[in-house]
Amino acid sequence: MSAAPQPAAPLLSVRDLHVTYRSQTGGVPAVRGVSFDLAAGETLGLAGESGCGKSTMAGALLRLLPRGTTVTGQVLLAGEDVLTMKPGRLRAVRWTEASIVFQGALHTLNPVHRIGRQMAEPIQVHDAAIGAREARRRIEELLEVVGLPARRADDYPHQLSGGQRQRVLIALALACNPRLLIADEPTTALDVMVQAQVLQLLEDLQKELGLAVIFITHDLSTLSSACRRLAIMYAGRIVEDGPSREVFREAAHPYTEALSAAFPIIGDPRFRMQPSGLGGDPPDPRQVPSGCPFHPRCPVAEPRCTTTDVELWPTGRPGHAAACVRVLDRGQS
Amino acid sequence: MTEALLETRDVHVSFPGRKGTVARAVDGVDLEVRAGEVLALVGESGCGKTTLARTILGLERPVRGEVRFRGAPLAYDNASLRRYRRQVQMVFQDPSGSLNPRQTIYEAVAEGLRIQKVEGDEAARVADALARAGLRPAERFMPLYPYEVSGGQRQRVVIAGAMVLQPELLVADEPVSSLDASVRGEILQLMLRLVQDTGVAILVVTHDLGLAWNIADRVAVMYLGRIVEQGTTEELLDDPRHPYTRALLSVVPEIERMTPQILQGEAPDPTRIPSGCRFHPRCPLVSSGETERLGIEARCVGDDPILHGVADAAAGSGHVAACHAVG
Repeated sequence: MSAAPQPAAPLLSVRDLHVTYRSQTGGVPAVRGVSFDLAAGETLGLAGESGCGKSTMAGALLRLLPRGTTVTGQVLLAGEDVLTMKPGRLRAVRWTEASIVFQGALHTLNPVHRIGRQMAEPIQVHDAAIGAREARRRIEELLEVVGLPARRADDYPHQLSGGQRQRVLIALALACNPRLLIADEPTTALDVMVQAQVLQLLEDLQKELGLAVIFITHDLSTLSSACRRLAIMYAGRIVEDGPSREVFREAAHPYTEALSAAFPIIGDPRFRMQPSGLGGDPPDPRQVPSGCPFHPRCPVAEPRCTTTDVELWPTGRPGHAAACVRVLDRGQS
Repeated sequence: MTEALLETRDVHVSFPGRKGTVARAVDGVDLEVRAGEVLALVGESGCGKTTLARTILGLERPVRGEVRFRGAPLAYDNASLRRYRRQVQMVFQDPSGSLNPRQTIYEAVAEGLRIQKVEGDEAARVADALARAGLRPAERFMPLYPYEVSGGQRQRVVIAGAMVLQPELLVADEPVSSLDASVRGEILQLMLRLVQDTGVAILVVTHDLGLAWNIADRVAVMYLGRIVEQGTTEELLDDPRHPYTRALLSVVPEIERMTPQILQGEAPDPTRIPSGCRFHPRCPLVSSGETERLGIEARCVGDDPILHGVADAAAGSGHVAACHAVG
């Protein structure tokens, strides 16, 4: 289960990514220095409370943020920096190298066009040589990959259920054979059983197609079973990164620990009649606390936490790092 | 046996569907909520759990059967319903949607007192309700508008608004599903504390079995308009018998002792409830041939099973299931 041996160059390499939104009252720093690597075929789960910057970061990876947003750092996708690409190249990369599935399957599809027509668009835009018949064959193949009958291509979105529409969106994202799929809350609006179906599908695709997947949700328990590796974000930064079981149940960062405890283990007496939460609210990105940004909510904060800002630091366990002074102490003792 | 605070007896609720069909959203439910307990009503969307909750609140009228509160059947004239709502209050899913954005928190909490024409010191009651809901000091929150507080605090305001009337039963429909995980635990702690401090009973409607493990004394599992399994939380979640409950539990990510049993298709259509056991078209015991081996397949397809006590249940667990394969 530990991290696979790293190949020479990762598929995705994010370096010191900063994203600042423009607002009437000045800049809002939503992502404040994120760095990580993702190998081909690797699955990374990204979790954190709303407002922690996880969706902003996902949008920045493919430059899908509102005009006027400042993005700095590097996003190397197969060695090429997405942030400095020319628009034409970016358009090509967006479907053929990496694609994204957003939450809210109900609103992303155009209600007045048949599913097949909507799927044909990216296929034909990215490969002008593909004729209508060939595109149709590809669409039917894609629908079958996501477990839908090929005849669904003739349906309108309203004829499909929520789970089926989410499958169509995944099929659409796979239309141009990307190597990286970013799934932003792909199952949040779905029922438990449908959610399990979609997760199973993502897992199969990852195995069969060797896709790398970045899976974003606030639901830590889902992530820990769907992804081998888990990264936790707080106030625009990754505060813990490591093998998912370890991060989820043996967290090194007090924030991860508090977040994990909010997901009870059914049958475990420690959680019976003992709901667990975390007091306070995530910080306003315009007024991030000094030192460790988690210190005002941290149950084990010490005086030095108000002044010491710690970066991700190895915990001593393979492939596991956390941004907390206590991890730093342990490394030095 | 504790006396039932609220009881539904063979309640049926239906709605007109497309092309003259009838959706039998609630299709014969007997359920009781006892004083001071937390009962979780669990199921997928479309199973009828929200319709059942609305019926318990008097917002829908059963086409058959009745809702009884403290032994008396519900009356549906305005005056009776108003009196009833003093004792039975509702907390909805989305706190932002259930608060009026142009009303201060004080006004939002005081509204119920005014509708019910409660005598006495309004400000003191509002302050007490806010403090009990964990919004302290209450005076600081009173003049604020909903947009000035966080999502978790908004849900506390909604709970304060419900609790200010000192009801005996709180019906909470997915009270934490729109909240962040970190806030969810805090709201659940609050609900447990209210039960301990005031003796209010809570019927919590949810799809989340983890929530049931966190706060519920008993769990009732609903499928296509019916309760298919019910019992104390420990008993039901440790030893589920109905294949539907087992499947629901098996897809909870944290439960590794069970092989995920992913049911195909989505919750079926209440306008076309299958014959016999309503779960049989999706039942893993049917598709695996288990029911055929047991020689009960004809019953699964032909006879509608009723809730019966399960064999070897823990004493006092009240464990019942509606399945021909469960002894």
